[in-house]
Amino acid sequence: MLTFDRYEMPATLPEALALWADAPEGARLVAGATDILPWAREGRAGDVDLPLGIDLSRVAELQGHERHGSRVRLGANTVWQDFLDDAQLARWLPVMPHCAVWFADDQIRQQATLAGNLVNASPAADGTPPVLALNGELELCRWAGDHILCRTMRVEDFVTGPGATRLAPGELVNSVTLDCADGYGASFQKVGQRRSLVISVACVAALVKLDETGTRFADVRLALGGVGPVPERLRDIEDRLKGEPVDTRLIEDAAAATAARVASRSRVDYRRRVVPGFVCAALEEAAERARVAQRKEALHA
Amino acid sequence: MPEMTLDMRVNGRKVTRRADPGQRLLDFLRDELNLTGTKEGCGAGECGTCSVFVDGKLVKSCLMPAAKAQGADIQTVEGLARPGELDVLQKAFHKTGASQCGYCIPGMVMAATSLLREAPEASLDEIKERMGGNICRCTGYTKIIEAVALARDVVTGRASPAVLEPEGVGESYIGHNVRRLDAPSKVTGRLKYAGDMVMPGMLHMAVLRSPHAHAEIVSIDTSEAEAVEGVACVITSADVPGKDGFGVFVHDQPVMARGKVRHVGEAVAAVAAEDVATARRALAKIRVEYRELPGLFDPEDALRPGAPVIHDYAPDNVVKHIPIRKGDVDKGFAEADLILEDEFSTQQVEHAYLEPEAGLAYVDADDVVTVISPSQNITHHRHMLSEIIARPINKVRFIMSPVGGGFGGKEDMIYQGMLALAAMKTDRPVRLVFTREESIIASAKRHPSRVKYRMGLTKDGRITAIRFEMLSDGGAYGMSSEGVMRKAAILSCGPYEIENLQVDTTAVYTNNTPSGAFRTFGGMQAQFATESMMDIAAERLGLDPFEIRRRNMMRAGSLTHTQQRLTSASIDRVLEAAEQASRWEPGAPTMRGPMRGDLGGPGTRAPCTLGARFETPKDSKERVA
Repeated sequence: MLTFDRYEMPATLPEALALWADAPEGARLVAGATDILPWAREGRAGDVDLPLGIDLSRVAELQGHERHGSRVRLGANTVWQDFLDDAQLARWLPVMPHCAVWFADDQIRQQATLAGNLVNASPAADGTPPVLALNGELELCRWAGDHILCRTMRVEDFVTGPGATRLAPGELVNSVTLDCADGYGASFQKVGQRRSLVISVACVAALVKLDETGTRFADVRLALGGVGPVPERLRDIEDRLKGEPVDTRLIEDAAAATAARVASRSRVDYRRRVVPGFVCAALEEAAERARVAQRKEALHA
Repeated sequence: MPEMTLDMRVNGRKVTRRADPGQRLLDFLRDELNLTGTKEGCGAGECGTCSVFVDGKLVKSCLMPAAKAQGADIQTVEGLARPGELDVLQKAFHKTGASQCGYCIPGMVMAATSLLREAPEASLDEIKERMGGNICRCTGYTKIIEAVALARDVVTGRASPAVLEPEGVGESYIGHNVRRLDAPSKVTGRLKYAGDMVMPGMLHMAVLRSPHAHAEIVSIDTSEAEAVEGVACVITSADVPGKDGFGVFVHDQPVMARGKVRHVGEAVAAVAAEDVATARRALAKIRVEYRELPGLFDPEDALRPGAPVIHDYAPDNVVKHIPIRKGDVDKGFAEADLILEDEFSTQQVEHAYLEPEAGLAYVDADDVVTVISPSQNITHHRHMLSEIIARPINKVRFIMSPVGGGFGGKEDMIYQGMLALAAMKTDRPVRLVFTREESIIASAKRHPSRVKYRMGLTKDGRITAIRFEMLSDGGAYGMSSEGVMRKAAILSCGPYEIENLQVDTTAVYTNNTPSGAFRTFGGMQAQFATESMMDIAAERLGLDPFEIRRRNMMRAGSLTHTQQRLTSASIDRVLEAAEQASRWEPGAPTMRGPMRGDLGGPGTRAPCTLGARFETPKDSKERVA
């Protein structure tokens, strides 16, 4: 059971940051609340009484998204269902709908935020691999007495271990900025014990851009989650594939090497078997979708 | 508790309350507004019984602090149709028989409503995908999905609204789609389960549970908890006025731990207070001193000489041994051409009914101690409670509330006694609602079982003898173990006529969570072993698995394992139906392999995947991927 001595709903970023700067020990930021409520239950944290909850869901500056050139800046209140409901976001970030459909369920996605998923830094977070693949960067802000001070940090550097990040005291995530990947084909593979509402045993995010002939990898983005303390980007495999023809044997060969990336505490053998298969399937599905996207584009041209 | 003025529109009506902004929207709807159609099944966002619309978006209200709904438009299941009416989806659920226990149904109806609003043309796969956040434990989902598809067809004009009307039954109800009488109360959320019931002056109970598997209780000090403001009483086994002990067969379980605890999660003390939060805070102030005892966690260990004794009355740790003897097994094995031996084990299983245990007790004006709960065995509970509280049977009343799923798991009187004692001690109504975690830790489970099997067969597949030896982990208390062992023994060797058999089923005490009743009542564990043996035998003898079963099956005139002469038997028809439905390709298992013709095809379910919504063309909205 979770109780709060105080529950605040700031409307602006300065208000939120000022509250957070002065927050008593043990205070928590509340974004979607879909993790904090199950956390305060028997078997996990038990009954928890927090001195203060700062609910960010009404902070105006954290809403919405905007595109700047080849990057899109997502306000920290962007929820997972947005990647399924907003056609523009889906076009810019083609891997996100495929990840979103595996993320929790339709209802939890209405509340759960991408930023919250990143900050919780679960090794099995579904959101981190696609964000790594899209060169995700966070804007971290804090209150400096009379003004807001922000810094940016790559998500790759931000997540340091299970539940551990470089978020400094008094800081909150203001936005998540991602590469736009228009024209890429994308895939998200995940296995757990059921379809909805399941923690990944392993997950893979892949993005593929083909060259103008549609036969070679122009760009490959690949990231892996659930198999080690932090999700990781597979740059060596990306580099090996870039410029090469899209070939089943090459993909299988490249994917085979990923078994060695499994560094989990449990179910290592299972994960070592499943991961190369996932990487293969993800690359092939992403390449196929890139082909379809290319054909569509040719039709429109 | 902080307070804030919460303003919302709930089911079209403006609502303003001074309330705790940090409480869950679920609690605000249920406790402040008494909208109990929104249920709590898990409190962790897993089950979907609490789904409500907030500004048109379906969310799980157990995961939403009420403040997040400030100023929002809320729609609950009560707001879907006008009183006395059903909307299209509710009618479809009624028509297909989608509601069974009904506890998941308001959430299911809400999820389906959201689905039809978002994707009215959804395919069956997309329906399953979009309903993925809601769990049902009764139906296997088939009827629910059928209802949603039916409503979809009506909403999109593909089917006439007439399909929602009841079918005529003609001469007989058998063979006709008969609507359930209780469905309207369930699809509208009107039905009150025990946890939905309130009485004026009602107290709320919380239970202190053992962190140890086996420990002596040296002392319990409740004084600090008693002193907490808002606490009405604290009870322990010392408050039991009569003969303490309950159980389906042997009354070996005290209302609360008496002298020692025998499993993790056993009730040790309980607090009744003005609200749940106070009761839970007071629990933390009860001081219990334990002296840990060596525990038993494996049924084999329980039978070893010198094993710790869990119940003084059973120094051998045996709850029940059921032997069955028929014919002469030595002779049978001597006649066998092939003797197979193997071991089979099955695991502990939780019932996971969507309605966690809940009850409400009060003492009425005529001193009748009354307990309302979804008990699956109220008459027996009434008799036992009468002894426990030392009151005549006419001063004890049990009212069975709607059971939000039981499957055997609500046969044990694991909390009704505590409610009665607290109501008697305070002279106020007391309600207890288990959390999901509490339900899992404290309620009975399916018996984990091990079967040692020896089967003799002739070359042509006739079974000549069976020796069947089952050891089951009964856990800390007897509960239904005796009956489960009896049933396991009776069903042990399956629907086959065995001339010579030796069957022993035994349940033993351990310090694991107690095992009890669960659908099939021991039959599943036994059949897993027997049917596996039949398949192994078919493989070894080069026989078709259906054929070997036909050669041994019981017929009219057969003598059962317990030597009852059958006047009829239906296994021949069952085998035929299964053979046809599976499009079985005849042959010995060894002749088969990946090329078998009956794999895949219609009726075979494709591997699970998600993304059906990307495939469905939708005219009105642009597809996102």
